[in-house]
Amino acid sequence: MSVAAERPVEVARPAARRREPRRFDRPRALWAVTGLVYAFLFAPILIVILFSFNAQRSLQTFDGFSLRWYRDFLGDESLRASLFTSIEIAAITTVVATVLGTALALGMTRSRSRAGRASGLVLLIPLVTPEIVAGVSAFVLFAQIGVALSVTTIVLAHITFSISYVCVVVRGRLASMGTEIEEAALDLGATRWQAVRLVTLPALWPAVLAAAMLVFVLSFDDFVLSFFTTGEDPQPLPVRIYSALRFGISPTINAIGTLMLVVSAAFIALAVLLPRLLGRNESGLATLTGRSGQ
Amino acid sequence: MTSAFWQRFLYPGALWLLLFFVVPFGIAVLISLGANNEFGGVTYGRNPSNYADALDPLFAPVLLRSLGYAAATAALCLLLGYPVAYCIARFGGRRRNLLIAAILAPFLINYLVRTYAWVALLSDEGLVNRVIVDSGVAGRPVGFLNTPWAVIGGLVYGYLGFMILPIYASLERMDSALIEAGKDLYGSPRQTFWHVTWPQTLPGVLAGTVLVFLPAVGDFVSAQLLGGPDTYMVGNLIQQQYFGAENWPFGAALTIVLMAFLAVFMLFYLRGASSSARREALV
Repeated sequence: MSVAAERPVEVARPAARRREPRRFDRPRALWAVTGLVYAFLFAPILIVILFSFNAQRSLQTFDGFSLRWYRDFLGDESLRASLFTSIEIAAITTVVATVLGTALALGMTRSRSRAGRASGLVLLIPLVTPEIVAGVSAFVLFAQIGVALSVTTIVLAHITFSISYVCVVVRGRLASMGTEIEEAALDLGATRWQAVRLVTLPALWPAVLAAAMLVFVLSFDDFVLSFFTTGEDPQPLPVRIYSALRFGISPTINAIGTLMLVVSAAFIALAVLLPRLLGRNESGLATLTGRSGQ
Repeated sequence: MTSAFWQRFLYPGALWLLLFFVVPFGIAVLISLGANNEFGGVTYGRNPSNYADALDPLFAPVLLRSLGYAAATAALCLLLGYPVAYCIARFGGRRRNLLIAAILAPFLINYLVRTYAWVALLSDEGLVNRVIVDSGVAGRPVGFLNTPWAVIGGLVYGYLGFMILPIYASLERMDSALIEAGKDLYGSPRQTFWHVTWPQTLPGVLAGTVLVFLPAVGDFVSAQLLGGPDTYMVGNLIQQQYFGAENWPFGAALTIVLMAFLAVFMLFYLRGASSSARREALV
């Protein structure tokens, strides 16, 4: 986009402003719909958070502030174990999937082979496969090769689905990056691996971090895949929530939901802030929403 | 650096996906052709009866219902999501990033917990019904739950973000000078929208539709928590075959049938993705 093409518009704008605002510029209906959608999105989670502090069992009336549901949750040894299991699963998944997915993204974008391009398309399939299909597939795989379901099987299933997410995010960044700097490094006597380690990866890492953040949150929150691949004990939190829901409503679930929100939010805050702290002026979130490089 | 060098980076991930994505799906296909044996295991075979059962008049409505609910979900998400994405992209100003982050925030609460919050809100004793009864809009509580609309509402709630994000991204990419040009050429707001904005954002709309539709078809949480036996979707049916009925071959056949129905949409999505990748490669 050239600067010359933009200027006339910039000049024309104040004049347009001075005219009475047209319906085109201030569409009230649009704001109304947007407001309603935000209300729709936030109403239930505000209810969850509010009632997690309710003094009474009721989910209809709020009778005063209390931390009893948090005490209930944290006092329950097996629920606490589930929280740590969930964090453990998400952490291992994040590390392994980020490494594998980043390597795949590099291989796909940089190798000009047909195999690379074909695998790029095949890789999108897990992204659009309903989770239940993946769950059933993983379940029958482990049953048929005789592997007992455990935390390990959950992690294997989670990694499989996270690789695609990492790959797509990292590839977006790679596509906008030239190969010139790498070639310069080679010209200056770096080996190929040095060029990857010292040039490509440092330039790529905001995207890698964004991908890691996405994977952690998805894995930590995942229910369907975990449900199909979990063993008896310990089970990740979402599976525990599901069992609890089948036995009826308990406000402890609100406390668990709120705590899980805090864990995810803390991880995202870390991923967003880390690049800033280290002096990069782009955040992981910006990379994820495709606004990097602006 | 040479293409052969970079190709090595493909192997670990590709091998992983082969082992844990392609092979398991193959096993599911094999099992779907087998039968339960008396030891609680599966005898492999070449037995298409599970597929006949899956398409039987007894179960086919469940499949059709799932496709219908998912289509309604995608349509509602588009209807609600487009104005929101448009509003943020055009009028969000400096707060755009914040507004988009706010769209994503509810997704940090676990899907089960969020859906269950709707149960608490919409039940006969729930807050919504209390307001309705107290204000005299209706004499007695409205039965929201166990209806198709409750299930579709839960799905919309679960997947709306997948619609808003791609539409927002395509609106962001669009040059707003195009809209100004439309106005300068005496296009009415409506004309400008349909002739300028809509075609430019069509790729985002299509991506969003597929990203909402596909997971919604396979969802079983919404129907389980907000619906009843009359609103069960194919996901519920599949889940029952593994946790309850213990009929793995039938469950596998249902899964494969589901995938076959969705394959068309997936191909559509992949074609879109490959053509957009090609376009990016050219720029």
